[in-house]
Amino acid sequence: MQQNGATGSIGLRKLVTYRESVIAEAGAHPARPALQAGVAAVLRNPWAGTGPTYDLFDHASRIAPVLAQLLTDRLIDVLGGADVVQAFGKAAIVGSAGEIEHGGALIHTPFFGNLMREFLGGESIICFSDTRAEAGEALVVPMWHKTKAATRDYYQTIAIRVPDAPRADELVIVAAGSTGPRPHPRIGDRSTDPAITLKNLESVLS
Amino acid sequence: MKVRKIVTIVEEIRTEGGREVYPPAQVAVVAAVIENPWAGQGFVEDLNPGIDATASDLGALLAPQVIDALQGDAEAYGKAAIVGLNGEIEHGSGLIHTLKFGDHFRKAANATTLLPAVEKRGPAGVVFDIPLKHITDATIRSHHQTVEVRIADAPHPDEIVVALAAAAQGRPQQRLAPLSTEQ
Repeated sequence: MQQNGATGSIGLRKLVTYRESVIAEAGAHPARPALQAGVAAVLRNPWAGTGPTYDLFDHASRIAPVLAQLLTDRLIDVLGGADVVQAFGKAAIVGSAGEIEHGGALIHTPFFGNLMREFLGGESIICFSDTRAEAGEALVVPMWHKTKAATRDYYQTIAIRVPDAPRADELVIVAAGSTGPRPHPRIGDRSTDPAITLKNLESVLS
Repeated sequence: MKVRKIVTIVEEIRTEGGREVYPPAQVAVVAAVIENPWAGQGFVEDLNPGIDATASDLGALLAPQVIDALQGDAEAYGKAAIVGLNGEIEHGSGLIHTLKFGDHFRKAANATTLLPAVEKRGPAGVVFDIPLKHITDATIRSHHQTVEVRIADAPHPDEIVVALAAAAQGRPQQRLAPLSTEQ
């Protein structure tokens, strides 16, 4: 039996790609239609059975770069190119025999984040969510703009769920992206906000 | 036909039962979230006008996309209609249980058998399983399988989720004897 790529080296069980294309929202077509997608990898938790003092560096530096490349390649493929990806996010779901720290070791270190950012031509910090859950639990993954994180129009989320993962000794690692803003963004931005302080809102808060 | 969103899901299985699956097993699903054509009309006795206005367009929309989402040729397939809480299951069945809908997929996949189906009613975020069988011989046991789907915000009460599923192979570690060995 032939080993395919990362399957053996990082203990990969399956890959799930989820993409949404909003045609209409609130009865109207978006002025700037967007594709949203998340790619999830289900892999064995390399730290299952280890204790809270176990050093996470070795496995993280070995596994996270492979995951970053695998997930980002799929994301670029399903969204239509790195150039059209405008917003990004990442996530980890840890099976019940693991620590949240294990998920963090694979998404929060430069071995994952720096590579994902570089593959997607980003500059921003990559926003994230994480949880520990039984198989089949959905996790909402936040995204913001890849170079202008404070651009409010691009604040958005996508729900990712793998029906039979994570098992107790598995991790689900997710890379998410979007090619545009929310369907009908109209909550302004820092450049259009009035100055808001406690003092000039006294009438609202009293 | 009013479409709110299109969802594409691809599962690629690399190991099963602790053993490598090579080439990886692939299953794809494409779902359209549409407005229920009979929403707000009370009990509609004759569903044919709504079916005629919708079913063929839906099949033509979904069939090429699910074939495209799958990297290889489809060997098994199935379909689904998930009706929002204000509708009747009969509405979803009307849209998918007609040759006007299914023939688009059969033609695109060079298939001949009937499409196995799930029809149910539920709230947004309801989980549903789409059954799949072989595209030319529904007795081929190796290809009996299901794929699980959930769309977080669909169907709304006046919507229907209509989906097609395709698999490029049978179950990942299929090893059941053929039906003929029991006859």
